[in-house]
Amino acid sequence: MAYISLTAVHKTYPNGYCALKNITLDIEAGQFIAVLGPSGAGKSTLLRAMNALDPATQGEISIDGVVLSKKNYRQMRAHIGMVFQQFNLVDRLNVMTNVLVGRLAERGWLNSLFYLFPKTDYQIAEAALREVDLLDKAWSRADKLSGGQQQRVGIARALAQQPKMILADEPIASLDPKASEEVLKLLRKICSEKGITVIVNLHQVEYAKQFADRVIALKAGQVVFDDHPDQLTQARQADIYGTTIEETTNEYELVLAHT
Amino acid sequence: MNMSWYWPTPNGKPPLIAVLSVIVPLAVLLLTASTVDMSYNKIFYAIPRMLDFTKNLWVMPDWHYVPQLAKKMLETVEMTLLATALAILLSMPLGVLAAKNASPHPIIFRITRDLLSFIRALPELVWALVFVSALGLGPLPGIMALSLVTVGFMGKFIAESIEVVDAKAIEGLESTGCTKFQSILYAMLPQAVPDFIGSLLYILDHNLRAASILGLVGAGGIGYDMVMSMRLFNYERIGMIALSIYALVTLLDRLSDVFRQKALGGILNVH
Repeated sequence: MAYISLTAVHKTYPNGYCALKNITLDIEAGQFIAVLGPSGAGKSTLLRAMNALDPATQGEISIDGVVLSKKNYRQMRAHIGMVFQQFNLVDRLNVMTNVLVGRLAERGWLNSLFYLFPKTDYQIAEAALREVDLLDKAWSRADKLSGGQQQRVGIARALAQQPKMILADEPIASLDPKASEEVLKLLRKICSEKGITVIVNLHQVEYAKQFADRVIALKAGQVVFDDHPDQLTQARQADIYGTTIEETTNEYELVLAHT
Repeated sequence: MNMSWYWPTPNGKPPLIAVLSVIVPLAVLLLTASTVDMSYNKIFYAIPRMLDFTKNLWVMPDWHYVPQLAKKMLETVEMTLLATALAILLSMPLGVLAAKNASPHPIIFRITRDLLSFIRALPELVWALVFVSALGLGPLPGIMALSLVTVGFMGKFIAESIEVVDAKAIEGLESTGCTKFQSILYAMLPQAVPDFIGSLLYILDHNLRAASILGLVGAGGIGYDMVMSMRLFNYERIGMIALSIYALVTLLDRLSDVFRQKALGGILNVH
């Protein structure tokens, strides 16, 4: 049985916009999956439905045999790491605390109130920081780090959850090419070495071909490609991103009444 | 070259809303000035008398009063600090409940907000009257009145600083499966700290001045001495009292500047 399975998933936003239409997918454990598609195709919505940050409005999502429902959001999220485009760290806390946040789901309210964590949590956090090669920055404030480093802290936070799967929502869209490659290599390594399923939203087809085991492409909320990255031919890519590059004519002419 | 001037709007004319926001207040001021007895003559003729009063202040200070003054000033500072500290403890949970994004339920949010505005509705002096009649004269009713009003303000300030924190960090926490309580503690409060320190320092400044007049109704502090010496035309003391309040407020202001710099610069790191 597949590790994650989506059955007839729909997502309609309160304003009536339908972001996901009838998505049915099976994802095997331990794979590195790239999700491609133009902006607004529903890539983020798909990822955010999988950990119920934006729950699906119809259909069923099951992870490791457990169906995602209103009652088990928190238990499910505890084992799903999420990496964001804007890192979503707490800027004013130090790196170590940002990583320890990944342990909070396992801890009670009283320890949390006093910012107290057991030694085992520090060991987990340290291991996660070593994994992303940022142990030396453990006590710096999160906002003092570069974008690439902040994203690695984001990954360390996900690792501290000891997750079975990591969802990365455009993790490299705010990074320079060098940092982008580092972050993707890191995610790939985590997937291969720890057997953690990684699902990454990407804009770059090249990176998808380089890193992914499987590519899923969305267009207007529907799956239009789901295959091995080798099958991503020029023709298929054109299909995903629209046949012609539409010329954007600027219809707005600045009208200056007083010139 | 055409040097005509235009506003940066599509038609080059100032926006209507900007024109109205100048004209309407001006009109209101003109219409209300007479009903509140704004008379230029009155102000003009009062100048000599004000000068007379100021002249009277230039007298030898009453040195025998210094120990009493020091005692009363210390009492004022103690009242300020105690009342503010008590108020912080009480306003923290209330502030969280009164923040739209942190409150557990919209009804709780509404009730807390309304409670805070009720507390703020009356000034310290009036609350002090209430507590003085309940507890008798002395600094205790003053402290209670001051901390009550401070809770009203701090609660609102804390709630507002929580409401404007960056939603991304909150989402980051929620994605790990933590509880709402944990996301308040780890994402909202740390980010609200700079705002919070700003309002705290303002409140301290305000409370010091408020504590120095609570004596007016017998609720402790320097206020009682100040009012009595005013009524008895005891100019030797009025000047000393005014100067020491001024010195204290200035000192606090300097201290809070230094503190604010450090806090915002990240030296006071929040772990």
